[in-house]
Amino acid sequence: MFAARAEIVANVWKIVAREGDQVGVGDTLAVLESMKMEIPVYAEAAGFVSKILVEVGQIVQEGDPIMEIDETASA
Amino acid sequence: MTKLETPAEISTPDQAEHRTVLTQRRQDRFARVEPKGKRVFTARERAEMLVDPGSFVEMTPLRTAGGGSGSGVVAGWGTTDGHAVVVVSHDAAVASGAIGAVMAESIQKAQRFAIDKGYPIVYINDSGGARIHDGIFALHGCGGIFANNIEAQKRIPQISLILGPCAGAAAYSPALTDWTVMVKEQGQMFLTGPEIVKAATGEDASAEDIGGSALHTTVSGVAHLAVDSEDEAFDATRLLLSFLPSHKGGAQKRHDSVPANPGAVERLPGLVPDKSSVVFDMNALLDGVLDNGARLELMPTHAPSILTLFGRLDGHAVGILANQPAARGGILDSKAAVKAARFVEFCGRFDLPVLTFVDVPGFLPGTVEEGRGIITHGAKLLKAYVETTSPKLTVVVRKAYGGAYIAMGAASLGADVNWAWSGSEIAVMGPGGAVALLHRRALKEAEEPTVLRDELAAVYREEVARPYIAAEAGIVDDVIMPEETRDRMAAALRMLTHESSR
Repeated sequence: MFAARAEIVANVWKIVAREGDQVGVGDTLAVLESMKMEIPVYAEAAGFVSKILVEVGQIVQEGDPIMEIDETASA
Repeated sequence: MTKLETPAEISTPDQAEHRTVLTQRRQDRFARVEPKGKRVFTARERAEMLVDPGSFVEMTPLRTAGGGSGSGVVAGWGTTDGHAVVVVSHDAAVASGAIGAVMAESIQKAQRFAIDKGYPIVYINDSGGARIHDGIFALHGCGGIFANNIEAQKRIPQISLILGPCAGAAAYSPALTDWTVMVKEQGQMFLTGPEIVKAATGEDASAEDIGGSALHTTVSGVAHLAVDSEDEAFDATRLLLSFLPSHKGGAQKRHDSVPANPGAVERLPGLVPDKSSVVFDMNALLDGVLDNGARLELMPTHAPSILTLFGRLDGHAVGILANQPAARGGILDSKAAVKAARFVEFCGRFDLPVLTFVDVPGFLPGTVEEGRGIITHGAKLLKAYVETTSPKLTVVVRKAYGGAYIAMGAASLGADVNWAWSGSEIAVMGPGGAVALLHRRALKEAEEPTVLRDELAAVYREEVARPYIAAEAGIVDDVIMPEETRDRMAAALRMLTHESSR
């Protein structure tokens, strides 16, 4: 299990992956908006999205978890 | 006139006996002390591995710290790629490399030699810090090393390698040098080790936790590069030295010009997304401009929103500073500003041209960054550019807003040449923010505020932010196309380095 985290204080702009989705390394899970930049949140490991921890429009701080990825469930 | 008497017997020296004595002395001194712990190589072997094969010459090889034991350090000189370099290598086999009075004296002698003769110095650090038995003499010696480190900053490049646990003085000396390379899971830097931390504060932490490369090259910024092995540390050191003159005012290293990567050149015109909010990898842009070849990025994982690297353009060794939109949007925060300022200041100290590639959304605002002192740290970057007298070339490749526009090597800070790509935007703030402020009332009263906002932003972008306004005012020297960048920079470098007059 690992959490994809916000790399900067931001607004959650788009949630791309859904719970249960299988994701690969480098896939875009969500897009944050900060300083008028669209900042992608990438999957750092392959697995299944087990939990989405934020909502669109929510403010996240640097380091806040965005999604949980269950690596063990990866086939 | 009396005739000079010839002595009946001339005593000829017994060279055989002298040779035996010297050979024995050398054997005793160089008796291989087995490296301790995870170490594979001795201090002398490390020094020899760093320099060109067979080039290492040890200074004062017979120096001892009394009782026949070595001084605790192997100091000498050799060459890398044929260029002279002074090397100091801690001998962890002698009292864990702890710095006693004699060891400190030997290190200072090597430092003095490097400073006076004008050669770079590489410190191979593997030391527990001041030697307790030597008391005040150890402290006095360590302080002398620091003072020399500081004097050397004005004169020669200093590189520190961390190949073992380095505590106290052995961690402070590297902090006073220019670049520090750590071997992962092997080198650590801390004020004091895990046992004393536990005793002092109760904190239970491993040596890696309090001073490993993961901490120092990513979080703290104390060290600038993490590598997997000693071999890689020596490779990185030689590569780093290949970009640097031997001393301040020394000849810049000039290589043959190598064209930029052809594929990257082809992609360059369409590389930067038109929409200023969309991220891209600045490395791909640099590939399309710089010589295709040797490059060394420093601090790649610390404050990754700004790139600091050495590379070449038309054969000139150059320092490159570039915003990285692919990391944290390319913003400037406290850590990025300190990283950038340090890099620019270093380039200035050794006359390396600074190439600045700008695509910056601004300084990151807010309570966290203000609390970290972003104003003070951002100011360091302004100061570094103004005080740097080496050639400064700046190109805005997409957007440059507000204070961050100034801080990224703007004309007002003394850049020698300033260009902006034809599609770029330069303004006090981005179109979105500017429109929201300038047209607050109109937007409030509008039936469809988002439509109006987009319209106004488009007008602002064309009428206020386009680089032609800056160029017409003479603040940007010229507006250029992406594919012209390399040739423009090469021509400017030839002029600014006085190459054309040689």
